[in-house]
Amino acid sequence: MTYKIERRGTPAFSAKISRRGFVKTGGALFVSLALPLRLATRALVAENSNSIDPTLPESWLEIHSDNTIVARTGRTETGVGITGYYPQTIAEELNVRPEAITLIMGDTDRTPDGGYSAGFLNGMTNVRKVAAYTYQALVGLAATHMGVPVSSLSVTDGVVTGGGKKITYGELVQGQHLELKIPMKGALPRPDPTGEVGMTSMDGLTVTGDPPMKAPKDFKVIGTSFPAGHIPDKVTGKTKWSCDVTLPGMLHARMVRPATMGSTLVSVGTFDKKQFPTAEVVRKENLLAVVSPNEWEVVQAAQSVGDSTKWTEWAGLPGSENVTKAIRAHKWVKASESKGKAGETKSALESAAKKISATYEQGYVRHAPIGPFVAVADVNSDGNVMVWTHSAQSQGLRARIAYVLSVPVEKVVVRWMDHAGQYGRTTFGGDGAEADAAILSKLTGKPVRVQWTLPEDLAWSSVSPAWVSDMTASVDRKGQIVAMHSAHYAPHMEDPRPLGALLAGMPSATSKPDAWVATEWPYDKIVNRLEEAYGMPNLAGDSAYGGLRGNIMRTPGQRQQNFALEGFINEAAATAGADPIEYRLAHTTNERLINLLRATAEAANWESRPSPHHSARRSGSTAVTGRGACIMIRSNAYWVGIAEVSLVPNTGSLKVTNFTIGCEPGKIINPRQLDRCMKSGVVMGLSEALKEEVTFDNSKVTSTDWSRYKILTMSEIPQIKVVQLSRDDKGFGGGSEAANALVPPAVAAALFDATGVRARRIPLTPKYVNSLLKA
Amino acid sequence: MATQLRLSVNGTRQTVNVDPDTPLLFVLRNELKLTGPKMGCGMAQCGACAVLLDGKEIRTCITPVSGVEGKQITTIEGLPALWAQEKGLSAAAGQGTLHPVQQAWIDEQVPQCGYCQSGMMMVAVQLLSKNPNPSVDQIKDAFTNAPPSPHLCRCGTYSAIIDAVQRAAQAMRGGAL
Repeated sequence: MTYKIERRGTPAFSAKISRRGFVKTGGALFVSLALPLRLATRALVAENSNSIDPTLPESWLEIHSDNTIVARTGRTETGVGITGYYPQTIAEELNVRPEAITLIMGDTDRTPDGGYSAGFLNGMTNVRKVAAYTYQALVGLAATHMGVPVSSLSVTDGVVTGGGKKITYGELVQGQHLELKIPMKGALPRPDPTGEVGMTSMDGLTVTGDPPMKAPKDFKVIGTSFPAGHIPDKVTGKTKWSCDVTLPGMLHARMVRPATMGSTLVSVGTFDKKQFPTAEVVRKENLLAVVSPNEWEVVQAAQSVGDSTKWTEWAGLPGSENVTKAIRAHKWVKASESKGKAGETKSALESAAKKISATYEQGYVRHAPIGPFVAVADVNSDGNVMVWTHSAQSQGLRARIAYVLSVPVEKVVVRWMDHAGQYGRTTFGGDGAEADAAILSKLTGKPVRVQWTLPEDLAWSSVSPAWVSDMTASVDRKGQIVAMHSAHYAPHMEDPRPLGALLAGMPSATSKPDAWVATEWPYDKIVNRLEEAYGMPNLAGDSAYGGLRGNIMRTPGQRQQNFALEGFINEAAATAGADPIEYRLAHTTNERLINLLRATAEAANWESRPSPHHSARRSGSTAVTGRGACIMIRSNAYWVGIAEVSLVPNTGSLKVTNFTIGCEPGKIINPRQLDRCMKSGVVMGLSEALKEEVTFDNSKVTSTDWSRYKILTMSEIPQIKVVQLSRDDKGFGGGSEAANALVPPAVAAALFDATGVRARRIPLTPKYVNSLLKA
Repeated sequence: MATQLRLSVNGTRQTVNVDPDTPLLFVLRNELKLTGPKMGCGMAQCGACAVLLDGKEIRTCITPVSGVEGKQITTIEGLPALWAQEKGLSAAAGQGTLHPVQQAWIDEQVPQCGYCQSGMMMVAVQLLSKNPNPSVDQIKDAFTNAPPSPHLCRCGTYSAIIDAVQRAAQAMRGGAL
């Protein structure tokens, strides 16, 4: 049966439903892709003995005869609430209760679409359209079944009503095997050394067409605080995490890493075989590990091997105290991306009545999850590869592992499971323990579980690079900005090569070390602006394993560039003698931004006056206080941050007492989840503003435990106030990141307000603040 | 050398055959399949591996299993039974109940990635056993200043944890929420 869906005066869309057969028990509607490559893909999957259900590898959505619904997505729960808002979004368009939906995430053989988990807007739009197409098909079926026109039907909680009759979705599919094909574009990732991040199709598949979708005014589920589904099992201990995977015959592994970031192996160390009888050393080039079925035995034997292994000496790093100097010393040639008007901006700056300029910078920071990397891999003798992991980009990881092992992508299956948050480091499917595990499994012929240690993770995982930014502006006689030039310089921030492959000398692909302009320009009244981003290779990038491999981290690029931009706007406001919020309002006509600035300022009891405060001082043994603000536009969401600080100048110890954060992301899907993301973002941002910096000497990272890579503790959190504005006319915006980036500029501005001292670098440690106060 | 050791975990007696120096964390996770406690730093700096030993928090990543014989070990898997015992509920009734701390963690939607939260709930249970109505400052103190280290959360859920501890406190005092 082919069913043509009725059009409701909306843009053209098409989806075909067909009956594949009748079944004696149950019945279901499967929603899958209508892609030319579908047959080819299916054939490949069918040949793959790892595939769980080769007949239906790609269905997005399944409506079952018992009224349960299964939804599938390659994107995963990273702690920001996909297990809440995906069911909400699907339920909204299907007119069912979100509780009816089971979400299957991240497994490359059991989900259809690929894509990275930070891609909220694309992913959510996909599942919303899938649900909308399915809804149309279901009411069409119901109309035929009930002999009632579609226009007279209504659906509540999966029950179709019309013409005095009713039928459930389950009854509609009872006894049948139906398939709905919906239009798609895109492809799943493939390794590609010439591709943007060393692979193609980062964002996987996209649902196309424009099925009729509900107007926000009709939303019943979107806009409510439906609970995130992953939580109950996590608090009872039922969740099976990636660190919990055990397989028959599995070996535990601990890696023995080089003595420095560039050392190569001279001689392999030893352990006492009598003491650790089941342990074995495994090596490929500079990839060195100890394996054993017994985890405690492997920990001890690896310690012994590590202590006695000899590595070459190497010293190719500049030392973290010199890092921004090293970036400055790079021979910069051409911006990899420019935005704005180059000619007009330059001439406006040259003819300026008054010019101001400032430089901002930051050292290396890192994702630093509480759980170090862990992965299990099983490479079979027939070449099939299974990987159990927690990457935020399962399909991308699949492509990378295939590339490392030189096997076809179709041979690799990645199963996703929960683990500690990754905050962006696995977005490109690279960084992690998976390559280690796959290589060791291939070498030993057994399933291998690789557990990194914290010191190993804090030394060897990828990092969010240091950067410097130069800001210049011209202002008119009233202090209004006429032109602005920003130039951002940073090492490579998209290097997803897996460490295991680099150490073992196996293939791995990366991108060009280009940088990008991440700012979404909020100041439309500054017409003449030029933004430039310059990229350079990793620090020590020409060493054996690529040096400090740069990677994206929550709110990437924009987090750094916004510290410079918003810091500079605060400086310009002070130069003009203007209130920092009034000054921002004077530089934008954006209604959404203006509304949010006003609402957040009001919630923070913002007093309109210039900074610094008239009683600001830089010495004394009693506390001074101050407040500062900043803004951001990111992914169709508007953000305002207001920090209030207190410090005793003689100690330099800065305490953030209050933080008010405002967000307007169009229509808010889940207010409580957004509240949690906003507050936790403030905590993460404050940690970066006050404490975090990766330290290294000339040869290795030295901030390798929590006493040396310090993150915020509970006692250091401020009182956090949240302002949410939801509106129906601007679609959906991203709420799961950005909040962290609002904190450093606001805190630095508050420090200036309290002391008159401008901090143009983070972290604002007591030592650094003291040096500023005493300068 | 592997030795037979008797443990009492979540109210159940267990016998394990392991090297007595094995960290309790590995015994819980690999031998007893209690995977609530997590491997974090491995050096008692983060709290992800915390369990209760006779009602007091310990870090299992540095605790040799030989040191806990004869003591009561509680992991998050055992919190419902602990609560049932405290309230004098039958074992059957207890199985369908969550500890108020667990319920509060769900109601306040605390976990983001959730990796640290097993350890966080241990602190909450211990705190509320001594202080049925803790202030925000007392909660911050319990999660930050008790030895051997602060309990760390990288997702930044600290304010949600404070909300949840206060909600659990109210529930345990029998107050309406």
